[in-house]
Amino acid sequence: MPRHIVSGLKYLAAVELVRDGLSQKEVAKTLDVDRSTVSHYLNGRNLSWSSIEIAETITKMCPKDFLMLTYALLDDKEKTRLMVKICSKVKCDAIVKDSCIACGICVDTCLMRAIVLDNLKARIDCEWCCGCLICRDNCPTESIEILEVENGY
Amino acid sequence: MVTNTKEVKALDFDVTRSTEEERKLSFKDDVCIGCGICERVCPVEAIELGDIGAIVRTGADEPKICVDEHKCVLCGMCSVGCPVDALDFTVDGESIKDMDVYPHFVSSAEIDDDTCIYCKACETACPREAITIARDLPDRAKLVTGEIEIDKETCIDCGVCEEMCPADAITIDHKLPTSADPTVASDINVDKDKCVYCLICRRSCPVDAIKAVCRTCSYGEYDLDPAAGEIKGSSFIDDEQCVRCGWCEEICPVDAAKVKKAFKGELSIDQDKCTTCGACVDICPCDVLSFPQPEEPGQMVEKVFKDEKYCIFCGACQNVCPVEAIDVKRTDVDYTPTKSKSWKSKMESLKT
Repeated sequence: MPRHIVSGLKYLAAVELVRDGLSQKEVAKTLDVDRSTVSHYLNGRNLSWSSIEIAETITKMCPKDFLMLTYALLDDKEKTRLMVKICSKVKCDAIVKDSCIACGICVDTCLMRAIVLDNLKARIDCEWCCGCLICRDNCPTESIEILEVENGY
Repeated sequence: MVTNTKEVKALDFDVTRSTEEERKLSFKDDVCIGCGICERVCPVEAIELGDIGAIVRTGADEPKICVDEHKCVLCGMCSVGCPVDALDFTVDGESIKDMDVYPHFVSSAEIDDDTCIYCKACETACPREAITIARDLPDRAKLVTGEIEIDKETCIDCGVCEEMCPADAITIDHKLPTSADPTVASDINVDKDKCVYCLICRRSCPVDAIKAVCRTCSYGEYDLDPAAGEIKGSSFIDDEQCVRCGWCEEICPVDAAKVKKAFKGELSIDQDKCTTCGACVDICPCDVLSFPQPEEPGQMVEKVFKDEKYCIFCGACQNVCPVEAIDVKRTDVDYTPTKSKSWKSKMESLKT
């Protein structure tokens, strides 16, 4: 069953990427599947609609649950961050306060790899931030604020 | 999701967080001076200063500080705040002491080998035994000039010159006389590398068998090579042990030692409150404090004597004083600039 849900997620991602103007070849490369599979996905073949429904439900969960469930299904950090970035319709702004001490816990806990330390301060790349708030919850100095500025659902 | 590990080696320990990069805090107990600055600067209250007074005075087998690895967030602030090298923080093996983005105390101790005369005063005075002076003394023969000769025909092998010679330059091969060879010695020789031409042998010889002259006395030092008589050497300061207290600079007779301290401040002792327990004298890493001895019976002296020249204003004495008789103020902290406001305010907070 998890594999079916993954197929559903990949279908959703493929649709998003094609909408963004990527060719089927590029989609196949991005999602690490072969081209015929992408073609099948996009034509609605080899897929149960219920898998897609469940996948859609997952993407609409709160960002943290979406991220953690996707990670549990894919069991691969790099594939997870890519999938979440493609399918997430949440856009966030991040504020790092001056009280940041650059301990790097946010960097180490961010599954999206959206955070780096720059001049002893965390810098969050909003392109990659999925709004899961894991960084905020783990910050020892409560220096991170994540604001949801857009929710496409 | 991310956890720290702690590895304890006797009194030392490492706290590590390993993910894509490895962040590691290492503590060396023998370098720690017990000042407690790390406890003050830790942003998450993960550090607890031990009962340093008891540890220092009883030699208890206990580390001077304790880091709770479950609270520590591996930010490195304690290592930057440590005025000695007891706490080191590394990211992927590189010490943050070598990274410009982190602030660092501006302090140093140097001995200029061109000026140093290798008198070893600093080595003797250094309260942390951090200085080693290695010196090469010239051969004694290069500092004197003269001539000496023993007339072996006249010599009666009495041994007076051998006993009197302050430089142990004369040797007589003593023996028992036999009927075949009725003499008390087989030979007498002078080691010219040892002889300093003091002429004591000549003056003490009962039979005037020694002819000797000191050329320096008669003609001056014209045939001595000053370069051959030079003292050569080198100095070494163990940066890990050095606390930049300034003893070497103060005691150096030729101004070869230069010390730059990170803190400026004031040290005051309330002589009325002081109970002369001596905890401060024992903990002070810089030998700033001592008990003065009265010069004559009945003379009243201060209970504890201090000389701020040697003080690094670390505050260890204040921490350890059981009756709050000591006040250490840091009025200035010299550190390299940082762009981080939180780190800057932490460095500023060291001023009291």
